[in-house]
Formats: sequence, C-alpha cells, structure tokens
Amino acid sequence: MRILVIEDEKKVAKALREGLEAERYEVRVAADGEGGFLQASRDSFDLVLLDLVLPGRDGIDVLTALRERKVTTPVFVLTARDAVEDRVRGLDGGADDYLVKPFTFPELLARIRALLRRGRLDPTRKLQHDDLRMDLGARKVTRRDQSLELTGKEFEILECLLRHRGRIVSRELLAREVWHVGARATPLDNVIDVTMVRLRRKIDDPFEKKLLHTVRGVGFFLGARPE
Amino acid sequence: MRSPRLSVRARLALWHAGVLMLIVCVFSGAILLFVRASLFEGVDRQLRRALTTIDWVYHHEPEEIGDLAAESGITLFQVIADRKSPYHTEGWERAGLSGAVPNRSAMPPTSWFSPDGRWYRVQAVIEPSYTIAAAVEEGARRDSFWTLATILAMGAPFAVGLAIVGGYFLAGRVLSPVGMMADKAREITAESLGERLPVGNPRDEFGRLATVFNDTLSRLHDSFDRLRQFTADASHELRTPLTAMRSVGEVALQAPLDPGKYREVIGSMLEEVDRLTRLVDSLLLLTHAESGSARPVREVVELAALADNVAEHLRVLAEEKQQSLNVQGAVRVDAVCDPDILRLGLMNLLHNAIKYTPNGGAIHVRTKTTSIGLPSIEVQDTGPGIPAAHQARIFERFYRADPGRGSDSGGAGLGLAIARWAVVANGGHIELESEESKGSLFRIVLPGDNDALPSTSGKRT
Repeated sequence: MRILVIEDEKKVAKALREGLEAERYEVRVAADGEGGFLQASRDSFDLVLLDLVLPGRDGIDVLTALRERKVTTPVFVLTARDAVEDRVRGLDGGADDYLVKPFTFPELLARIRALLRRGRLDPTRKLQHDDLRMDLGARKVTRRDQSLELTGKEFEILECLLRHRGRIVSRELLAREVWHVGARATPLDNVIDVTMVRLRRKIDDPFEKKLLHTVRGVGFFLGARPE
Repeated sequence: MRSPRLSVRARLALWHAGVLMLIVCVFSGAILLFVRASLFEGVDRQLRRALTTIDWVYHHEPEEIGDLAAESGITLFQVIADRKSPYHTEGWERAGLSGAVPNRSAMPPTSWFSPDGRWYRVQAVIEPSYTIAAAVEEGARRDSFWTLATILAMGAPFAVGLAIVGGYFLAGRVLSPVGMMADKAREITAESLGERLPVGNPRDEFGRLATVFNDTLSRLHDSFDRLRQFTADASHELRTPLTAMRSVGEVALQAPLDPGKYREVIGSMLEEVDRLTRLVDSLLLLTHAESGSARPVREVVELAALADNVAEHLRVLAEEKQQSLNVQGAVRVDAVCDPDILRLGLMNLLHNAIKYTPNGGAIHVRTKTTSIGLPSIEVQDTGPGIPAAHQARIFERFYRADPGRGSDSGGAGLGLAIARWAVVANGGHIELESEESKGSLFRIVLPGDNDALPSTSGKRT
C-alpha cells in the first residue's frame, strides 16, 4: 500500500512517515503543493494525505487539479482550519475524508484503514480475540464460554475495540463511532472513561488474563500488552 | 457659502450675516421709498397752494401780481395770458425755468434739473384765458433724502460686518462644548477608558450627546475589561498544560529511565496535549459562535426525546457518583431549534450539574412549557448552589464561582459559556435560580414556534 503525504510542516511529515511505515505502508513525502501534485498525478498511490495549508499551491487547489485530471486516488484531507466552510469545500473538491489538526494518530490510522477498505463489504458477523467472542447477530458476548451482560454502549465499544484489535482506539474514534458525536467540545471524555472502567469490570476483572488496556494519553486497545 | 471646507462655526456666522443683510436691504429700501413719497407730497402740497394763491390774485387783483413775491414769498412763477405779454418773476428767469414748462399746456408736478445746477419741482395749470406755472426748489429735501440713503447704504455693510463678527463669536461660544468634547475624547485611549466627557446640562443637545458618548464609552470599557480578563484567563489555562508538559519532559530527560517509565512520561505529556486540544476546540467553538459563522439549522425538536438522549449519554457519570438522574416531562413539548447545538448546550449544563452535585445527590431534568407558553428544559441539582454575587458572571468564559475548584474537577470553565451560547444561538436564553447550599436550577427557555419559524430555512450555505 503506497501513501503520498503532502505536508510542509517537517515534524508532522516525519511523524506521519514513521508512523505509517511502522504500519507497513510505503510512504512518499512531498513538502509543497506543486511537488505533491506532480507526484500524485505521475505515480500511482493508494491514498494521498493532503494538508490544506501549503506553501506555493493551496491544498484545495491541488485537490481540484487532481480531480480535473481524473486522478481517482482517495484523498484524505488534514486541516488546521476548524471552519465548516473549509470542510465543505474540501469534500466538494473531491476529498474522501478529513481530519482536523491536531488529530490523534490512532484516529488517523483507523480512518485510513476504513478508507482503504471502502467498497469491500465486511461480512463479519462474529468477532473474536483470545477467548473473548462476540456474536453481532445475536448481540451476545462470551468469555471462556461464560456469557457476559453488557449494556448497549459497552457492547458497541467492545465491538469497536474488537474490529481494531491489536491497535489503539482513541477516545475521539469512540465518540464518533459509539456516541455519534463529532464535535470535540463536549464533556464526553469522562463518559467514555467511566464506561470503559465498567466494561473492564465485566470482561477482565473476573479473569486472570487481562485483554483491555489503556494507553495513557492516547486511548485503549484490546490485545496483548506491548511491553 | 456652502463650501464643505468651511467650519460649522464659519458657516453659521455667514448664514447669520446673509440673512441679516437681506433684512437690512429690504428694510432700508422700504424706508427710502416711504421717505421719498412723503417728501414729495409736502412739496406738491406747497406747489398747489402757490398755484391757488397766484390764480386768485391774478383773477381779482391782477395789478398786485408783481408784489406776490415780496408778500407771500412765492418767488418762482409765471403767468401767460391770451392777449397780454407773459409775466414771470425775476427768479423764474434766473433759474431758466422757462424751458421747463411747455407753452400753454398743463403739467403735473414734475422734478426738473435746471441749467443752474439745482432741482426744482414744477407744475402748470390751464385756466380759460391764461396758464399759470409755479416752481419750488427741491434742494434741501432732496439733500436730506440722499443723506438718509447714504447713511443707510453705508450702515448696511457695517451692520453685516458686525453680524459676521458677532455671529462668529456667538457660534464659537455655542459650539465650544463640541470642541471641548472632541479634545477630551481624543485624550481618551484604551488605557484611560475610565474617563468620561464632562456633561454640562444633561437636558440640552450637547449634554445628550455627551451622555450618549459616555454610555458608549462605558460599554467599550466593559468589553475591554472583559477582553483583558479573558486574555489573562485564556493564557493561564493555556500555560498550565504547557508548563506540565515541559516539566514532565525535562525531568524525564535528567536521567536514563526504563522504557515503561518513558511510556508513562509520554502518556502524561499526551494527556496534557489532550487538555490543550480540548481547550482550543472549545475556544474556537465559542469564537465561531461569537463571529456568527456557526449558523443553527432549525427544525422541530421534541425536547423530552432530546433530554432523554443527553441524560442517557451522561447517566454513567451520575451512576458513578450514586446520583439519581431523572428526566420528567408530563406533556409533549416541541421547540423549533437546531438539535445538535441544543444537545451540546444541554450536555454541558447536565455535565456541570453532575460535576458539582455531591455523591448521592439528585438531578432532575424537566421539559415543560413556561407560564407564558414557551418551551423550556430545566436542570435542577442538589449541589452547593451558586452565591448571588457569582450568578451574573457564571456564564462567562473561564469564570468559576469557586476559584479553588480548578481544572481538577475537569474542564476549563467553558462549559456554561458553551451552554449559554448554544441556547442563545437558538434564539433562547438561560435562567438561573440558585441559593447557596440549596442547589441550582438552570432553565433553558427557547423561543415559541412563531418567533423561530421565519428563520428556519436556507440558513446554511
């Protein structure tokens, strides 16, 4: 999977490159709009990560030019401008998704995976990790064949964690996927933390092997503790 | 006169003088006409009398005619009879008046300028067998008329000049408060917004102007103060996580640590980043809200459903504190508003209530119509209440009733500011009833259907 990162901020570009390479993506970086546009229209990529504020050529401009040239590569827009107009303009110009800076890296990864997966149906009705099983059709969760009683939100959180198992899930992603709240200026973080504590009580506390872990300052993940 | 470059003072003086000049001209003209008419009337009467006397004497005592000049003082006349040689006085000949009167014809009183350089008033009458002509010198009367005319003509410019000077002076006096106000206003800068313009008589025009200006200054002063307070608060709130990040990072780099410790340090720093991000997001939201770029999209919302939804979101927090959280709504209440923005507002209000209500307390959310029929949502808690002194400012950004209750209890003091914005953006307002140690009641009052409907469609572009 090849990803083109068009980003002029050196630190951010470096972090994106390293983070994405750690996820086994092949990454190219362009530091300005013109170079990015040339690479994106000349080489083939699976995804373009596009910053909107760029020296020389504006991100929106690059995006429209690419779409005019019939380049259909999915474009993921990163923007520091938190203005509704910008988002609308970005998506109208042919962007497939966007994130407002500062974004969390797990969130970006999750969205990239979703974008690359798009079009492929996900027929999974059963999710499993270790001895934890989830049956989406029957809405049942068992661990070591013991049935667990989860509330609606706990079930949805666990589903989200299982789908991204082994990877960190940020609070932002949970807020969007489970609570369907996009705005970040809400007091939802406390709610997520409390719900997570309760979920852990049910799926981990009675068992010796712990599956649900908190990564301080980042989010949560389901799987073996990376130590 | 209308040149826009002239000052108000000069324009006033010129207008004043112009009007005065017009009045003086009209008045002088009228006086001159009147005086002239009355002067000639006197002369003409004298002439008529002379003619009558001459006629009588000539008719009855023709031989006496030569003595008339000496006896009656009638010095200028002539008599022309049909069959006699004409008779005229010595003066008549000398003044060359013969040329003034046409032979044997009548003549109304007429002014005549004689070759000897004087003005005479001449009249002639025809009798059956003779004609009589007489004249009176106009000199003295004509002189006094011209003297009057000269006085008026010379006095008018003087009066106008006086009017210009006086008008300028008076206008200056009248306008001087404006100049003083301008000077004073120029001295007032952002640093001295506490100063005010002097108000002379609050009921006259300038007093009202000064009062209005002072009111504007007061509002400006208030908003400057709030801005200053906001800047100080915002930088404090921004600096706190930055300080934490810096010290955590620096301490971690003092000595080598094992990887687990590094994870802890980075995690701790990321938590601060989260805090900063939330703060900036909230501030941005409020800034967009204030600049009016976040436009509500209104639709009919059932308040009970919305309240239920919000309460379910936050119920876990209340449960953690063993608080009871009840949503009540006896009848269905609909409001026309933007559900997303209102939800955000209610969420902040409810979160605030849960946060400040002690463990085991009770929180009630009620949807109802107010006494005047407006849709409303009440959030009542059994928390510590808000002292009256703080109630007016509790919705300001970063304002905390209890300064000791810092960000440990979560948030940066923006929740209520966001809640108020969310309600105001929907055309409503928040009422607060609170008594210390008895809990608080926040009431969201939304506009009725009729008030909100005109601006429901086509707002977002």
